[in-house]
Amino acid sequence: MSIPVSWYLVVSAIIFTIGIAGVLIRRNPLIIFMSIELMLNAVNLSFVAFSHYLDSVDGQMFVFLVLTVAAAEVVVGLAIIVSIFRTRRNIDVDDMNILRG
Amino acid sequence: MIDVTLISFFVLAVASVASALGVIFFRNAVHSALSLILTLLFLALFYLQLGAMFIAIVQVLIYAGAIMVLFLFVVTMLASEASDNEQRDRIPWQRGVAAALGVVLVGALSYLLITGATINANVKASGANSLAATVTKQGDTQAFGLALFHGFAFPFEVTSLLIVVAILGAMVLGRKS
Repeated sequence: MSIPVSWYLVVSAIIFTIGIAGVLIRRNPLIIFMSIELMLNAVNLSFVAFSHYLDSVDGQMFVFLVLTVAAAEVVVGLAIIVSIFRTRRNIDVDDMNILRG
Repeated sequence: MIDVTLISFFVLAVASVASALGVIFFRNAVHSALSLILTLLFLALFYLQLGAMFIAIVQVLIYAGAIMVLFLFVVTMLASEASDNEQRDRIPWQRGVAAALGVVLVGALSYLLITGATINANVKASGANSLAATVTKQGDTQAFGLALFHGFAFPFEVTSLLIVVAILGAMVLGRKS
């Protein structure tokens, strides 16, 4: 028996929602970043599932490009977090309100 | 007879969702990072189950390897500060609201996906364009490489530009001014 594509998409939706909840409830920017990675990976899972079920390699190409974008995003984001920590000694996102008008 | 594919799907689904929950519920940021590595490895097994060998290996090498090493490096560097002041919460009701909205979102998405998501046989690739045909003829990584350097050569080159910009950004931000 083959697994229907919607089951993979449901797993992907659950992991994506866990990522959203993580961004909403945690205030450590590192864990917010990890939740963003969870969301990207959930979308990757649905891309690969569609690639398998549509019998086309295009979905895997998108996963490859998403992976590269995620790596670039993590590099720049972590550099920003480290430089904020260097100047303020505190990385709680609720305390980062210096741009508030 | 018990279906091995079905059982492995359910085991992987439960394990990956459980470790994803670990990412957002562990108090210690290092434990969250380790839980995220576990989630990424389970997702790599999902990719293997779906026949995407190259993507599974790249997931382990780049995500669970390179990106998470960077994460763990920064987490351990900032760990003493990171886990202390998470206790006090200025908006105490936001956890409950986030959980309720998350359940609503998962419910809505699952309902729509189970009732609506079907693969139309007309949009399936067929003949020489079919992935399965290329894989049986030339192998999985060869099929990936052919598609990457024929149809997706321009996005691939733009990717290299993106990486150069990211390296420059990290150097500029990390410099002691």
